[in-house]
Amino acid sequence: MDGGKVTPGRTMALLAGASVLRLAMFTLLPGLPDLLAGRVEISTPVTSFKRLQEGLFLYNHNVSPYDGGVYHQAPLLLPLFSLLPSFAAFPLATYMLYIGADLLSARALLRIAGSGEAGESALFASPRREKRASGLVVAALFLFNPFTIASCVGRSTGVFTTCAILHAIARAVSGAPLGAMVALSFAAYLSMYPLLLLPPLLLLCYDRQLPKRATRSLTQFATTHLAVAAGVLAALFWMSFLVAGSWEFLPSTYGVQLTLSDLAPNVGLWWYFFVEMFDSFRSFFLAVFWLHLSCYVGGLTVRLRRQPLAVLTLLLGIFAVFKPYPSISDTSLFLALVPLYRHVVPLMRYTFVVAAVIMYATFLGPAFYHLWIYAGSGNANFFYAITLVWGLGQSLLVCDLTFAVLRDEWEVERPEMVGKEIRQI
Amino acid sequence: MPSTNAVSFNTSRVRSYVFRLPLFTRAVIIVIVAFWVIGVQSLWDVRTWGALIPDEIGITTLYRLNTFPFIHLNAFHAIMNILALTPLMERFEAEHGTLTSLALFFGPLTTIPSFIYLFVEKFILRSNTSVMGASMWVFLLLGMEAIRTYKVNPYLVVATHNIPTWTTPIALLLCVAALVPSSSFLGHLSGLVVGYVCGLGYLKFLAPPERILRWVESKVNIFGRLPHYVNMDQKTYGRFGVLPSSGGSPIGGPTTAKGVVGTGALRLRRDPRILKLPPYLSLLCILVGVVWLFLLPLDDYSRRTYISENALLPGQVHTYFGGSDQNVFRAYKHEVNAMVGKGNIEINDKLESIVKGLGLKAGRQNFTYSAAGLVYSGENVYAILQAPRGDATEAIVLVAAWENVKQELNRNGVALALTLARYFKRWSLWSKDIVFLVTPDSIAGPQAWVDAYHDAHDSSRVDSLPIKSGALQGAIAIDYSQESRFESVHIVYDGVNGQLPNLDLINSVVSIAGGQMGMGVALQEMWHHNDQYPDRLRTMLRGMLKQGLGLASGPHSSFIPYHVDAVTLQPFGDGWQDEMAMGRVIEGTFRSLNNLLEHLHQSFFFYLLMQRERFVSIGTYLPSAMLVAINFTIMAIALWVKSGQPESTPATAADGAEAAGETVTKLNTSTLAVERELFLPLGVVTICQFLAVIPLYLFNHAPENMLTPAFVIFAVFNAVLPSALSSVLTNYYAPSAQQYQLIKSFSLLLLGMFLASLATLNFSLALLVGLLASPLTFMRPWPQSPVLRAACTVLLNAVSPTAILVASAAYWRLDAGAILREAAFAWHVCGMNSPVVVWCVWWPAWLAGSITVLGKSEETKKKTSTVVTVKTKAL
Repeated sequence: MDGGKVTPGRTMALLAGASVLRLAMFTLLPGLPDLLAGRVEISTPVTSFKRLQEGLFLYNHNVSPYDGGVYHQAPLLLPLFSLLPSFAAFPLATYMLYIGADLLSARALLRIAGSGEAGESALFASPRREKRASGLVVAALFLFNPFTIASCVGRSTGVFTTCAILHAIARAVSGAPLGAMVALSFAAYLSMYPLLLLPPLLLLCYDRQLPKRATRSLTQFATTHLAVAAGVLAALFWMSFLVAGSWEFLPSTYGVQLTLSDLAPNVGLWWYFFVEMFDSFRSFFLAVFWLHLSCYVGGLTVRLRRQPLAVLTLLLGIFAVFKPYPSISDTSLFLALVPLYRHVVPLMRYTFVVAAVIMYATFLGPAFYHLWIYAGSGNANFFYAITLVWGLGQSLLVCDLTFAVLRDEWEVERPEMVGKEIRQI
Repeated sequence: MPSTNAVSFNTSRVRSYVFRLPLFTRAVIIVIVAFWVIGVQSLWDVRTWGALIPDEIGITTLYRLNTFPFIHLNAFHAIMNILALTPLMERFEAEHGTLTSLALFFGPLTTIPSFIYLFVEKFILRSNTSVMGASMWVFLLLGMEAIRTYKVNPYLVVATHNIPTWTTPIALLLCVAALVPSSSFLGHLSGLVVGYVCGLGYLKFLAPPERILRWVESKVNIFGRLPHYVNMDQKTYGRFGVLPSSGGSPIGGPTTAKGVVGTGALRLRRDPRILKLPPYLSLLCILVGVVWLFLLPLDDYSRRTYISENALLPGQVHTYFGGSDQNVFRAYKHEVNAMVGKGNIEINDKLESIVKGLGLKAGRQNFTYSAAGLVYSGENVYAILQAPRGDATEAIVLVAAWENVKQELNRNGVALALTLARYFKRWSLWSKDIVFLVTPDSIAGPQAWVDAYHDAHDSSRVDSLPIKSGALQGAIAIDYSQESRFESVHIVYDGVNGQLPNLDLINSVVSIAGGQMGMGVALQEMWHHNDQYPDRLRTMLRGMLKQGLGLASGPHSSFIPYHVDAVTLQPFGDGWQDEMAMGRVIEGTFRSLNNLLEHLHQSFFFYLLMQRERFVSIGTYLPSAMLVAINFTIMAIALWVKSGQPESTPATAADGAEAAGETVTKLNTSTLAVERELFLPLGVVTICQFLAVIPLYLFNHAPENMLTPAFVIFAVFNAVLPSALSSVLTNYYAPSAQQYQLIKSFSLLLLGMFLASLATLNFSLALLVGLLASPLTFMRPWPQSPVLRAACTVLLNAVSPTAILVASAAYWRLDAGAILREAAFAWHVCGMNSPVVVWCVWWPAWLAGSITVLGKSEETKKKTSTVVTVKTKAL
């Protein structure tokens, strides 16, 4: 498992295998893509492919795509998809686009794993770093993760966000801070929440600058690169304005995420709360939920200053649980980065519990959704209970990984405590 | 934040702590409480008397400088301050002695901060805010503690920044100021400043000299007799030695102490006996699950049925079907008899002309299904009676299949349906449309019709419906092939995949047929039921078996997946009830359904019936299936834990006499979990799961004449496959004992997970598969004992899916091919998913279990195995 050396041949074989598998699922199982596209676990109001097609239809008929109140995704996806041959006539082009996005993500993961940033960052070198996962294994775990495959086959547009985030990290570790900022701006443009990844990503860029053109002052570095990110975002917004013809896309895309105006069920924790809530408390709890989501950024960035990649990984895990419209595509992104921390896995304590909880939730979720929606013998509480379990499983993994990373750091400071039992309080 | 300080809540420790509080601390707490109690009454305002009010301070009111810490605003304030103060004060007193504490806290440590406060408040801020409460002392003591912590442990490292530890009380001060309403920032600050100064040692001169204290103690003997008094010899300046404070710094910094006060749970985890427990626990789960099931028919566990939905009002209306309708029935019976033996289309032509003659709208629908190489095709005909009082948003269905499930002609049923159509048409009280459906057979026809009604049909095989009505609220099917008069009505209620109609529908039919019409009602082919334990158990088990198989049991079955509650009524027995009585039962049921205000939802959807008026609901019976499913999960978790533990060497077991020494070594080894080799076990379990596609595809797509040979070939293949896989595994990969444990662990985990999910959808199937797979929990490799290995293999082959199929075919005197044909038909037509459970849940687990039993991983082979493992790792 560990000896997988990254060679061009093996990489090609892996990518080819992954794309053949996806293509087979697209073409040989004709009912599957539409079935998955309709699942609430995969398609949220802000990533659904069906809604994208609705928006595309309106866009191609010269109606504002946001008029129907169904489409909540970024405007620039529309010209991209209308440049492709029509999905109804020639679906292969769309399939290839999604497969390509997954393969690009895998390539970015290969680069992140190859840099060894997870084990040895600029300020910290783990004593366990020699036992790291090979890039091929990391990429294979991403590409053959059922959650990744399901979100690709279900054509969730979260796939593109995943690709952009992974590319931002990959550019950052390979010493291209400008590229990282551009990629992150794209991710933030598509789904907004990646904006919260900016602080740790800036630190990662700062730590991994090429020595030739390194900026010493963090303030100066941060200012210039924030300006770059803001500039790219501004350009994207301007282009969106040109495409959409007005600024109404802002409330329809980011506004929906901020105010949770679409209460379709998903695997997250928000919808049920806001379904049940009295309207007078709504704005207060919206603020609380968003504050909660963003409060992790500062704390983790400061506490794990020496390992910015760990901060990014943990934040992605937290977002996959607590963001307004999470889907399994977000989980797959988090699970893609976890294998980079192969070296601290022996320090983790709940791997089996986490795996069992996540798998139980994976099977019970659709079963309870069926009982609720189709059989009529259950109700919304059934499904919500399972999404709680799902969130619990993921947050347990986040906690456990945090513990392992911190313990790894701590054992460097306190060599005499290596191997001793400690307790987290 | 990891820390070695074992902080755990323990009531006995809290109790002993409270009982050991020293004297002065106790006194302070008592006085605070006393002042609060005094403050409750309204005669004397203790707060204005004792608070520190800058403007009130004069030479006669200097007592306020000492009283204000004891007086609090309210109970909450007092409690919070007592909680914060007690540990700090206890510590101070234990270190400095009771007398010193008394002197300091009634002297400089209270007056200096109050003077500072008064000065700032009155002369600089020129305002008059009164303060009270012990929190000033809390901050003073915190300041002292923080300085002491700072001396031992100067910095707290957060990321790359060093934060001096003496700043922590300041952070606390700011937090309190920000979060607690009406807290005096200035008062706290002055306490803190004095605390810092005191902690730095500049106020030592204020403490009474030790010489004088000793003199006082020796003279005033009474102190020695006071309980909990800390005298000069007991006081411990260095009680905490080099230990840092744990009260002062909220975030535990690096410490040198090694807190290894193992709690009960931790010690239990390390106990080797705990790993011997799971097999017995699993066995217990299975036994309890089975016993639970057999308890259900008892009166204490089952309940009487009752009607939940008030709108149904079953049996409350007079039924008028009868009289001249008997002549109409005879006429239609003649028409039906004349149609016997004709083709489907001809029959439908005739039926359509009859219903059109009644003034109903009629429609026809073609369908063609193919399964197991056979083609099932036909044409449905149906008519819609539009409700005189309704708006075509809701409908009820009356189904009469031309042939019932046993391929008997349903002459009376079709004739009765036509008569009822004519009769219902005369009434003006219907508020829901009534659909009369005649299908050529009992399974495929209703399925095609109900699929098309909900637009969920495959239009290449099933035609769309030309006319439709509203949402279906219920369906009743008549299966009346008996020619003579009947005695009782048999209610068939099992749907596809074990789904059941709402219990209210069955209760209504029972109440109308049994109560109003006075005929018997039977369930699950129990023609005679004496309502005793054996009969109840038999009814329940038959129901569970049918539910578990998930087959369609009548024309009603196809409706249930669409959330349309439906039953089939079958007259049986030799009695005096005639067709009109049957018609009145249907009329009464339709009148009840007609009353419904909303979809049937009140009563249970998950139940087991054991007599027509006795049932158990899901809450009562679910534990038995869940316990069986949980037994697999328990074993999976146990094996995972076990696989992570180092193999105990005989050496440590030998010198068990040195118990102390051994626990120490155990402590060190048990924390170092062994690295698990996950790749091979995961691979084996994944391959087993994927192999399941073969039988699933084979038995669902083989043509009918090939089914029996295919089954024989597969049975032989199934017997050989575990040995073949096992020899491949041992020869090429040589798995270690740990890897066998992991193979078993993963496969049991999956099995438990699937079954737990399934139990919520189809309880009976989950329980059946769980019980049949239960031997897998106890399978393990037997490297040393070929006899046991052979015995286990034989046992496993006896409970393999193929063997069970053969055994059940023999029991019911059926051909295995016929069973498979039925399964393929149900799979293609009704969407029955039991084959998926058998081949993709049960069979892979069985395969993995068989591989585990046949595994060979001896200690002697250990050396070679490690070499090979390295090789596999390099793959």
